[in-house]
Amino acid sequence: MTPVTNTLTAVCIAAALAVSATPAGAADTADAAKLKALEQKLEQSLRMIEALQDKVKSLEGSAAAKSAPANTAAAAEQSARLDSLERQVSQLGSGLASRSSSDDGLPVHGFADVGMRRSGENNAVFGKGNKGAAVGLFDLYLSPQFGDHVKALVELAVEVDRDGGAAIDLERLQAGYAFNDALTAWIGRFHTPYGYWNTAFHHGAQIQTSILRPRFLDFEDKGGILPTHTVGGWLTGALNVGPARVGYDAYAGNAPHIEGATPTAPSLLRRGELNMRAAGSGSHQTSTGFNLWVSPRSLSALRIGLHGLRANVADDLANNTRLNMLGGYGVFIDDNWEVLGEYYHFRNRDLSGASGTHGSNASYLQAGYNFGRVTPFARAERTRLDQTDNYFGSQLFGRSYDRFALGMRYDLNAKSALKFELNRTRQKDLVAADGITAAPDDSYIEALMQFSFRF
Amino acid sequence: MHLDPKLIAALFVAAACSVPFGARAQQVVVIANPALQLTAADLPDIFLGEKQFAGSVKLLPVDNSGLQEQFLNKALSMDAAKYNGRWVKKSFRDGVNPPPIKSGDAEVGEYVKRTPGAVGYVGSAPAGVTVVNKY
Repeated sequence: MTPVTNTLTAVCIAAALAVSATPAGAADTADAAKLKALEQKLEQSLRMIEALQDKVKSLEGSAAAKSAPANTAAAAEQSARLDSLERQVSQLGSGLASRSSSDDGLPVHGFADVGMRRSGENNAVFGKGNKGAAVGLFDLYLSPQFGDHVKALVELAVEVDRDGGAAIDLERLQAGYAFNDALTAWIGRFHTPYGYWNTAFHHGAQIQTSILRPRFLDFEDKGGILPTHTVGGWLTGALNVGPARVGYDAYAGNAPHIEGATPTAPSLLRRGELNMRAAGSGSHQTSTGFNLWVSPRSLSALRIGLHGLRANVADDLANNTRLNMLGGYGVFIDDNWEVLGEYYHFRNRDLSGASGTHGSNASYLQAGYNFGRVTPFARAERTRLDQTDNYFGSQLFGRSYDRFALGMRYDLNAKSALKFELNRTRQKDLVAADGITAAPDDSYIEALMQFSFRF
Repeated sequence: MHLDPKLIAALFVAAACSVPFGARAQQVVVIANPALQLTAADLPDIFLGEKQFAGSVKLLPVDNSGLQEQFLNKALSMDAAKYNGRWVKKSFRDGVNPPPIKSGDAEVGEYVKRTPGAVGYVGSAPAGVTVVNKY
């Protein structure tokens, strides 16, 4: 209620009270005079009320006229702000929508594992097997994309060796140019694309069913007899050809060198280990290799491949060997079955001496069946490595062995798994502590448990 | 053993009524940028990273968080866990990144419309895109 309206109400009430306060039955002259005076006052009051009403109307009209432009201006300003906000939201949405996937940041992925082991190994060459809890590996990798064709792959791994020492390794550092689906060219340090296991799983403990790799395909310092990495160039691609998908890898790089086969060591107690020559070397040697595979389109779970590797490998004893490896593999992986088998045949030639050509072989067969979260598996491994071949004869792990493993993997969820493995190994080509006398085979059992995860 | 036909009929009716109305599968429409020429047979390879180029154009598949489960079931015959597992291995070996995930039809539609090489899936196709397949 406005002040003007209040005033009018008060006047009306006063007038009404005045009228009602007058006795109705007064008939004398004095009373008549009073009555007339009151009527006059009432008329004056009514005129005043009318005048005030006119004034109120006038004032209200004036106020409305003044506020109308202000309201219009505020509405216009609000509308403009809304339009601006709408435009900003629209542009923000468009900007996000039009971003290329390569601009969505750089996710870092990785693998890690910890576990326990109890090994019954006990011989003069490898010593006593480890027992107790053990840290496995911490691996980080990232795959930045630089536009539609240029990409890179970087992988760092922190490894714990047999003695418990930790070391950081630049596992992969490769830059690539994808011309199309049939051809990508990489340069740098990459996983050597022989067979299936080395590129499919490598340091990804969580993505492989078993705890251990086949020992002869393990890393150079953990039992491997082949260079798991190459520094050089790599062409790779795949395409559909009729009813099949066909893929290939062709690569060339620095040949590995066998370090640690020192002339002062007893001839049979060698400690040589492959070095990938990541920075090149003064006496450059080259390695070349290929991998061809085919997978039927109607049975994409199956892949069959043929692969080879050739390299001139020198050691610290001035031996020079041409490594010639040719192998084949078959893989079947569907929702339930995982069957992997690889065979490697070696026909190495002695380039520095007169020992001629030496034949060796290595193979494994693994099968697992997935029952939801549980995957039991079994694997058999076998190597027969010629000890008169300088390539194997100067490597610590270049000794023949047989291994049979049984295990179970339990997937806690999509990113972590608990694994148990029991294997029996028969280590051959051993020597006694004098480094000369041949020692009997060492047969031992090893039990392992591992918790592995990825992120 | 003799079963009362009325009892069997009642069981059928009860079973039919127990199916929730919301269980009806939603349509999934795979859309591509208008500049692309793709077929339905290309889709599994595209979304699993096996086909990365269409001619000289880099393919940019995107997942739709609201429809991913239906799409994976219908187009790739796999669930999200297997799909992610395949991509982990692919990414680790080949350095190829999995499709980014968009929040819904509007975002996917806008991205596909504006981005050369983009392929995605929605509940209903917006204007300005090519429909590759419907599931």
